[in-house]
Amino acid sequence: MKPFIFLIGLCFALVTQASETLTAKQLLQNMATAVHQRNFDASFVVMKEKGMEPYRWLHAQHQNQELELLSLLNGAGLEIVRVDDKVTYFEPQSAPYSISTDSIAGPIPEVLFKDISILKQDYDFVLGGKGRIAGRPAQLVRLESKDSGKYNYWLWIDTESSLLLKAAYVNQAGELLEQLQLTHISVTTEPAQQLVELLNRDFPEPAVVNENVISEQSQSNWQIDWLPQGFTLLKADRHKLDLNNELADYYLFSDGLVEFSVFVQRPLAGKRPSGALSSGATTVYVHNSGAFDVSVVGKIPPQTAKNIAESVKRAL
Amino acid sequence: MTQANKAEIEQVSTSEIFDGERTLDDASLSQLDSEKFSRYALIGDALRAKSDNAVTIDITSSFAAALADEPCHNVKGIEEVVLQPEQSNVVSISSWKKPFSQIAIAASVALVAVLGVNTMQQTPVVGEDLPVLQSIPVAGGVSPVSFSSEGSALQSAQQGVRELQQQRIGALVLEHQRQSRMAHALHQSKTEKTEENKEPN
Repeated sequence: MKPFIFLIGLCFALVTQASETLTAKQLLQNMATAVHQRNFDASFVVMKEKGMEPYRWLHAQHQNQELELLSLLNGAGLEIVRVDDKVTYFEPQSAPYSISTDSIAGPIPEVLFKDISILKQDYDFVLGGKGRIAGRPAQLVRLESKDSGKYNYWLWIDTESSLLLKAAYVNQAGELLEQLQLTHISVTTEPAQQLVELLNRDFPEPAVVNENVISEQSQSNWQIDWLPQGFTLLKADRHKLDLNNELADYYLFSDGLVEFSVFVQRPLAGKRPSGALSSGATTVYVHNSGAFDVSVVGKIPPQTAKNIAESVKRAL
Repeated sequence: MTQANKAEIEQVSTSEIFDGERTLDDASLSQLDSEKFSRYALIGDALRAKSDNAVTIDITSSFAAALADEPCHNVKGIEEVVLQPEQSNVVSISSWKKPFSQIAIAASVALVAVLGVNTMQQTPVVGEDLPVLQSIPVAGGVSPVSFSSEGSALQSAQQGVRELQQQRIGALVLEHQRQSRMAHALHQSKTEKTEENKEPN
């Protein structure tokens, strides 16, 4: 009799819990709304295997305008400023430039602040356990990739404010590769003075994003025979790289959450075997195919990058 | 002036200086018996219990006596005595270092590829089932040939290629970072377009 009562009790507990908790998708949508509407001042660190990058993140709604500032606190630094639909990047090596988009492409995938429904095709939204992160109660939401050749993304969301507290790229074995952890967050009623002052400053005008970014000619140069599921071509052109002035045929692919780049270049002198380097979730795979070099860079597993690089052929 | 007389004058002036009865100038300084002065200072400190619990033992005199008893090995000038150990040091380190430097070069070969990307990203770690990105051929080791000048030329050429590859990897990572900044905007415009295309059908 006893186990029977226990079973009934368990069923009741499960039913009531299911009705109380929000769905994973709902939680993500709440988070997207929260990061756009609240005034907050947060600090977080991005941890890779051995490296650590500290950031400060400020956001405010002021006079119907969204103001956001993300700065990398170590090294030469990086400052990203957003005033509504204009994002300006300040980097040490180059002149500041703007992009007209409504979210900052920082360590947190932009799509999470936007419409996550585009991820539905390639990822499952799964509700995880509860925990305490950065001193607050948090709910784990997992974005599980439907394709085993990609990383998963796990998010811990504040159950009170719906703000993001922790996020991580997780491989198929369940190991955390790269983590983003908030160390402090304060939600205020008034916008931070630092952000209000941004309105008095001038930022460069955003470069016009060419509608027809995929030129037929550059697309027909090379044939990429294998892609992981869900990735589409966003950009294809031939340009010189900023740092070493080397010419490359360039392809940018995205599945909405992560991007990877394919570079096809003239081979360097000397016999060099192909191989992979990785830092956190980012992989660089350099493939030496004799007449040309193919490099794949992105937050994808090394094996996936290898398969992509090796599938590149000269178009007939 | 006898020796005893001189010592007595020194002792008197030392105590006077110590008690502040005589001003400390060049004339009085020459008459200062430094050994006595430090001993007076120690006694004074002990009497005033200034040293708290710290034990101070004056072993200077015993050391001086021991040093004086040491036989003199080198009768040459002081400069040479100072120089000698430095010279021998240089010889010993270089002869000691030589075999190790060969190993260091070989080790740095493997390290350089990793360190190069370090400037762009933090501590790259290689995937488990994939080969390490090695920018020099595994066969034809560097260490045996590096003794000759031809070998070092070959080595510097390889070094050059390695640097080029590091530069390239750095440039690729930076380019990917920059390009992916507009990925979201591009992705959105693309999905909007495909949806528009779908609607008329």
